Amino acid sequence: MKLRYFDNAATSWPKPSAVADAVHRCLVRGGGNAGRSGHAKAVEAARTVLGTRELLAELFRIADPAHMVFTKNATEALNLALYGLLRPGDRVVTSSMEHNSVMRPLRHLSNRGVRLEVVPAAPGGVIEPGAFCAALASGTRLAVVTHASNVTGAVTDIAPIGEHCRRLGVLLLVDAAQTAGSLPIDVEVLGVDFLAFSGHKGLLGPQGTGGLYVRDERVLEPLMRGGTGSRSDREEQPEFLPDRYESGTLNSPGIAGLGAGVQYLLRRGVESVQAHERHLLELFLEGVAGVPGVTPYGPAPAATCTGVLSLNLAGLSCSEAGSALEDRFGLLTRVGLHCAPLAHRSLGTFPEGTVRFSWGPFTRERDVRAAVRALRELCAPDGGRR
Amino acid sequence: MPGRAGKLELLRELEGVVTFFGSYHAMRAESVLRKSGRRALLIPGPREISPNCGVALRFEFGQQEEVRELLERSFVQYESFHHYPHRG
Repeated sequence: MKLRYFDNAATSWPKPSAVADAVHRCLVRGGGNAGRSGHAKAVEAARTVLGTRELLAELFRIADPAHMVFTKNATEALNLALYGLLRPGDRVVTSSMEHNSVMRPLRHLSNRGVRLEVVPAAPGGVIEPGAFCAALASGTRLAVVTHASNVTGAVTDIAPIGEHCRRLGVLLLVDAAQTAGSLPIDVEVLGVDFLAFSGHKGLLGPQGTGGLYVRDERVLEPLMRGGTGSRSDREEQPEFLPDRYESGTLNSPGIAGLGAGVQYLLRRGVESVQAHERHLLELFLEGVAGVPGVTPYGPAPAATCTGVLSLNLAGLSCSEAGSALEDRFGLLTRVGLHCAPLAHRSLGTFPEGTVRFSWGPFTRERDVRAAVRALRELCAPDGGRR
Repeated sequence: MPGRAGKLELLRELEGVVTFFGSYHAMRAESVLRKSGRRALLIPGPREISPNCGVALRFEFGQQEEVRELLERSFVQYESFHHYPHRG
């Protein structure tokens, strides 16, 4: 049976072949430790790392690539920002659509005296900029908001939030795990101070890659300290970017692969990926609209969305539906709560969860048609029971 | 990247050396100089000039002011500029 991959919101697949080639080249022909020596192999590795940093800066319109810090994933980037910024007594505002990579550090920090306010989402899981901004009372240190929900794909209109934060002097951290590579992002236009992203989702790189854009390093303490290959005469952490936040050996092979993924996106154009994913969403929604028993969740169909659709089937739990989709139709989805219990509460799908379909730049129309056919069959009288 | 003979020629001709606190800035300086059409060569950082990052950058010493300005415009943080002809 042909497998069709619908779990791109967890990690993208397939990757452009150049990604695997770049990892291979780095392991076979590279071999040095970036920034640790002046010999040819170390310099080559450092050049590769710089190349990816420059490509990411181009993608997110960051003027100085030094402000692009590598992490092992979006979770580490978010933790770096949250623990580096928030101190007991600080006020932080977030939304009810956040992933646990934001909610868990924030709940932990709130137990340590950080004052946390969670702004509820509107029906359909949409974060309304007006409601979010209204919660940014004076004295707020940080606003944390997802650029798009990993459960519904609903995109948050960041620019008005960014503008409001600037006016109030509130720092803004945006979780772009679901949008980097799928939506155009310009850190200046959005007005973000910190942008956390994953390298292995929309950016098409290998797992173990991610990053944080840091506008002003003076306000952010490092999460870790250690060897950087710089200022080796000192026992204190360097204060300059990116070394301040990049202690220990970097994942050069992963970063090489990430560079190839970003290069692919820059050539194809993120706008073209966005249009492709939007087109597939419309096809999907149109297809399931005529299937009785399918309940899709999320914003109104006209809203801006990433390539994600969460739904449930009448008479089947989401795990039964997910198993049937895989076993009988070869459709690989993700079921359950998607590490976002509060987002599911906002949608009214807690604790049962949903079946999430998520697609990417290489998903084809025929994959979506196959998914719709499978859902129709499962929803036919007794179709889901074996 | 220059070949072996080309590298030796560059080593001899580029008499200026700029040093950095961290390798990111050294790599970025090389990238910025090359993109501007200038000749540049990364070398293991001479210990007698700087205790810092493992790499330094050779450039045309006659272009020192233009190079300095270009690096500053590109947010590259350098440690110091030297006239340091290649010995060997």
